[in-house]
Amino acid sequence: MPREFVISGLRLFWSTAIMNEGFSEAPQRLVEDKKDTILSMTNETTKMSVKVWRGDKSSGSYQTFEVPRQENQTVLDVVTWIQQTQDPNLSYRFACRVGMCGSCAMMVNGAPRWTCRTHVNKVLDGDTLEVAPLRNLPVIKDLVADMDPFFDKWVDAGGHHAPSASRYDDMPKISSDEPERAEANKSIECINCAVCYAACDTVAQNPDYLGPAALQRAWTLLNDKKVDDHDAVLEKVSGKGGCHNCHSQGSCTLYCPNGLDPMRAIAGLKSATIKRALKRGG
Amino acid sequence: MTVKAHIKRHDTDILILGTGGAGLFGALHALQSAPMHTKVTIAVKGLIGKCGCTRMVQGGYNVALGNGDTVERHFMDTINGGKWLPNQDMAWRLCTEAVTRIHELENEIGCYFDRNPDGTVHQKAFAGQTADRTVHKGDLTGIEIISRLMEQVLARPVEKLQEHRAIGLIPTVDGSALSGVLFIDMRSGEFHFVRAKAVLMATGGGPTMYKYHTPSGDKTMDGLAMAMRLGLPVRDMEMVQFHPTGLLAGDHTRMTGTVLEEGLRGAGGHLVNHQGNRFMFDYSDRGERATRDVVSRGIYAEMRKNNDPSQVGMFISMSHLGPDNVRKKFAGMVKRCEDSGFDLAAGQVEVVPTAHYFMGGVVVDAETRTSLEGLYVAGEDAGGAHGSNRLGGNGVANSTVFGGIAGDNMGLDIRKMRALRDPDETVLQAELDRALYPLSKPTGNLHQLRQNLQEAMWDDVGVMRTRAGLERGLQRIADIKAELLETGVNGDNLGFNMTWHDWMNLSSLLDVSDVICRAALSRENSRGAHYREDFPEPGSLENSYFTVARQDGDTVDVKHENVEFTIVRPGETILPEGEPETLVGEHA
Repeated sequence: MPREFVISGLRLFWSTAIMNEGFSEAPQRLVEDKKDTILSMTNETTKMSVKVWRGDKSSGSYQTFEVPRQENQTVLDVVTWIQQTQDPNLSYRFACRVGMCGSCAMMVNGAPRWTCRTHVNKVLDGDTLEVAPLRNLPVIKDLVADMDPFFDKWVDAGGHHAPSASRYDDMPKISSDEPERAEANKSIECINCAVCYAACDTVAQNPDYLGPAALQRAWTLLNDKKVDDHDAVLEKVSGKGGCHNCHSQGSCTLYCPNGLDPMRAIAGLKSATIKRALKRGG
Repeated sequence: MTVKAHIKRHDTDILILGTGGAGLFGALHALQSAPMHTKVTIAVKGLIGKCGCTRMVQGGYNVALGNGDTVERHFMDTINGGKWLPNQDMAWRLCTEAVTRIHELENEIGCYFDRNPDGTVHQKAFAGQTADRTVHKGDLTGIEIISRLMEQVLARPVEKLQEHRAIGLIPTVDGSALSGVLFIDMRSGEFHFVRAKAVLMATGGGPTMYKYHTPSGDKTMDGLAMAMRLGLPVRDMEMVQFHPTGLLAGDHTRMTGTVLEEGLRGAGGHLVNHQGNRFMFDYSDRGERATRDVVSRGIYAEMRKNNDPSQVGMFISMSHLGPDNVRKKFAGMVKRCEDSGFDLAAGQVEVVPTAHYFMGGVVVDAETRTSLEGLYVAGEDAGGAHGSNRLGGNGVANSTVFGGIAGDNMGLDIRKMRALRDPDETVLQAELDRALYPLSKPTGNLHQLRQNLQEAMWDDVGVMRTRAGLERGLQRIADIKAELLETGVNGDNLGFNMTWHDWMNLSSLLDVSDVICRAALSRENSRGAHYREDFPEPGSLENSYFTVARQDGDTVDVKHENVEFTIVRPGETILPEGEPETLVGEHA
């Protein structure tokens, strides 16, 4: 029962409304961001109760720590404090500290988040916090998830540029205002943190599904004029684990910490692959 | 030593340490230049492309692409910016090769950089540049570069050793060449020795031994520490670049020290003290728009005037530019501050100078070769290209240019290297013992020791230095080193044992800090990033020297070597006669 904890972590996703494909506006967050409280918190020395998932790929359970609250405190700081002062054996992963590398995402009170950019006040539930490794990925140890399946799918979805020009050619003149480029730019700042992958119920139910981030990368390639073979891009995302598995539940868009909209990108892929199929058929 | 450990062994042809701009380009170019069926292995302390600092580049990539700008002009700016200390052959190689590399990034790797309305690439000017030269993707240039590079490498047949920490460069018995690298597989805690014909060290610098620092948390200068243990010469070790505006949010948060971007000052942001008064014009007639080193010293000096311990930093204030305007123009920065509990748009954010980049590094030539056969060094681990100061936008150019050159050369050089070299088993065992050492000592407060080092470096080896301070710093470093050797780690489970790695991190930082301090003591003048209050003058440019430090067992020897002006001498320029000094209008 290695991933039992995830089931309880899911409670926030099950209630996600099924949305139509045409839904473009970001839906209301299920986990409300309490922004006012972040800025107004007084420096009372209070404690919070933090449940931390401990274990490895075979088994595990939650362990509770009492952690002092601080005025400026992220979930990453909480985990760090536990490792540095309470339990030197606690494992977690982080790198940049500022929301650029996507190494530190975890399940926080059941929702996937960058821990480095999540202020405790934003997510504290009463005085409790629950931290677990990212959903939909194997556990390495404690809060560290194995991200290899996520990146394998990035590769499987054809997620890299296939060059048709070389370093000795001029750079193509492509204005940032051209519609295709503007479309690609909307999705290009993905930092591959796997928050969307952890949020996705389709990934949870279908291990072959490529998932939102990888498909979104394919969408940027489809809109990239520098890519010659758009047919090859579509071919990669039309198969068994491809874009048509998506049920447009929208958790990817809901939880993307960068404010990107993978659901919309996947809808774009679906439409393009259907057009391509019709063209071929006709 | 009672702990016994088994070492897994395997071989490759080309081994690369690090997956920033240098490491990833090293891998791609090695695959291109090496004979068919060459095995390329890439190893990294974190996840591929995710740890390290290339990803964190905000500004952009310096490259001369015409419109009046030339490679010669880029070169002169780099030499002037480095206060005549750069290795001129490396600086020239940087500026020429950057032109090819940026085209490679666009055309082969798949990056898309921001354009002008006519579709040509947009370029802007950073401080210290005399032309609009910096190619960028908004203010998230590093993400575009590293994400595209990462996916290229992921898609290729490269052996990937993620979360493998390099702990020792292992030479041959006669010490004339490198045999391979000893790693800890961080996930399992097992030791792993990999032999290779050619090794690229591109682990990145990252001066995280300072109380306030910007680099990513995984970076602890392991590469330089390993190179020094092997006795390789390192240069410019006193040259630590401070960024003037790091976030100050308390000792308990990892947010402290992270960068508030340069553009805030460029756009007209004010720096104010606790009385609410601007102070930068007391230090420079360019005020807040002075270069990084000048503003850092201004803030530091102002902080020292302050006697109230509850008031540490200065404040950056943007609200006079209109909060909505600030929110629009600096959306990412405002959001980041907001997530952390600060209001950058309408309020004030406390800032402090923060250690940002390390100009020093292993002595290499312009082909990335070192004095040890089989070892190549590129990126922030290598010294020389920037001299005493790095221009904004030259960092990612440096790592990608020289990473690619290293890959080219390794691929060619291994054709001449018929066999793998056997390691000096004594060194291998010594490095293993070094890693196991803390497991046999009683546990203690490692975190406190790291803080002590960071305080010592900030107080005594920081933004402004004196002989008395540096000597005190040296003693403090030695004391902390002694304490570390009495502080152990619980080794019951070595799998993903971060505290064990914290111990090794601190050990690397202490070794490098010691050399920074000694190099700073030996340079009795003020150049670029290095400022001596007791020797505030830059010294004769014509007689410029750089420091070279070499470790031999427990002793470190620092020498001075004269800069060779192989391309241009102080007072001269290689720009054609009649060229204007700058092509950049003074920005409002």
